Amino acid sequence: MSAPARVRLEGLASWRHDLVGCLWTSAATILDFYDVPALETLGAAWTFRHCPQDVRREEYYYPCPEGTSLYEAIAPYHPIRSVWHVPADAEEGWQQVRDQVADGTPVVVAVDNFYLPFRPAYQDVHTNHLSIVYGYDEQAGTVRVLDAVPPRFDGDIRIDELTAARNSANPELHERDMFFTNRPIANRWLEIELDAAAFPPFTLDTVRSTLRRNLQGFYAAPSEVEYLGIQGEQEYLASQASWLDKGEDIRDGLFLAAGAALANTALHAEWLALAGRQFYQPRLAELGRQVDRVAHHWSTIRIIANLVRTGEVSADRLRRRSERLVADHHQVLEEMADVLRTL
Amino acid sequence: MTTTDAPQDLVSSDVVPVNLRKYFDNRGLTAADQLADGEFNIWFNSFPAEELPPPGSRTVLGGIPFLFPAPNHHHKDNFRCAGQWIELPPGRYDWIYLLAAAERRSEDPVYLHYADGSVDPEWLRVSDFWAETPARFGEQESLQCTRLHYPRHIQQRMGPAIWRTRVPVPRETELVALHLPDNSAIHIFAITLVQSGALA
Repeated sequence: MSAPARVRLEGLASWRHDLVGCLWTSAATILDFYDVPALETLGAAWTFRHCPQDVRREEYYYPCPEGTSLYEAIAPYHPIRSVWHVPADAEEGWQQVRDQVADGTPVVVAVDNFYLPFRPAYQDVHTNHLSIVYGYDEQAGTVRVLDAVPPRFDGDIRIDELTAARNSANPELHERDMFFTNRPIANRWLEIELDAAAFPPFTLDTVRSTLRRNLQGFYAAPSEVEYLGIQGEQEYLASQASWLDKGEDIRDGLFLAAGAALANTALHAEWLALAGRQFYQPRLAELGRQVDRVAHHWSTIRIIANLVRTGEVSADRLRRRSERLVADHHQVLEEMADVLRTL
Repeated sequence: MTTTDAPQDLVSSDVVPVNLRKYFDNRGLTAADQLADGEFNIWFNSFPAEELPPPGSRTVLGGIPFLFPAPNHHHKDNFRCAGQWIELPPGRYDWIYLLAAAERRSEDPVYLHYADGSVDPEWLRVSDFWAETPARFGEQESLQCTRLHYPRHIQQRMGPAIWRTRVPVPRETELVALHLPDNSAIHIFAITLVQSGALA
């Protein structure tokens, strides 16, 4: 049976947090669509992981251990996973997305903002971004798109505009084509599998077990293939300053890694604040604020990553900031262990 | 020692704008015909000068007068925090008010130096300048724009903000200097020192 010519799904809500990007805003909208609470899911796991062999030039970069999907990586304590589909060409790419929407499924698609008229990067900067497609009108030649990253957009664009964005080679053409270029978009889209009924309830018991798992993760044994846990975080940041000392270009890699760590840390801070309010546990709220402090270090590291290339920030300044981050992170983990004992 | 050369009508013994021009090292404000000169953030965005107070003007935001930045001879109008030492007109102040904006929100201690040699850290916290991003640290006042300058175009419906934030001065003794944090994410446009009595 062919897909209907016109579809508009209901129940799509925009979601945003000031320290996260399109991976998280789109994931939150999808979770909400399936009546799964977004923050309780995306903010639970807090970790540090960096896989040097798997740094992808994407706004939605997040480190994924081998065999782990993107959504498993951002919500490892919940029954959710994702599969990247890479259609053969743009035509197949549109058909697959259209069929998903016609079937009632909003679709997270990779796009190059250079071709999207609602993005500030339109006809200016190439990048590798995520938007949600949740409707279309083939007679009108339009597609319905939701994008919560400012400037928030929830409206129709032409199908050929979306196709150009999805089929882009995403080239690096000028000095502001940074970080997320040189990776063809390839019409990719994400299939998301989740079992909403199997999601754990957000209870104090869940909070306890989550804190326990996070602490175990941070103190896990070092890995030979990736930087892992608090020791891995310390070693990774130290390595960046050392490489900068040797004249290596660390900008893009550090920017991507810092963005992922920032988002993860900030959402966990928010999750702790929520738990503190919901279960009348002021120490959880205080712990959340301490985690936010670590997030703010990552804000600064992310900016430093760009400024080291011009020499505006030295390796020593990166090193000092990194050491403060790690010291504050150690302190938070100690506090977290103490809170857990009394919870 | 007095480091301010703010217009006299802006200065009283209890409200003292600080002239920061010699510290400016970043161009955050551009006119519509100067888009390519903007460099506020890592993407070379800038605030639309036409929507902000005139350079060097007295700007009152939520009852606090600021000396709105006029570009220095390098055409810079704000600075990234990089551990600057800022000498102040000595005085018994209660609050340090700032016009500031961050590339993603951030925070760090700023060291307050007093005439008697005492030093205390206090928190400097600044919310994100990015559009559609509410204040995170309780800032009540801001200079809110409706559009954002990009090097090659003006983005409507993308309004950045410069926040009015403040740092407390707990000691009831003379404050003489600030030692700012080394935090490249935080930009400062203006500082005004205030005694509580001035706001009555």
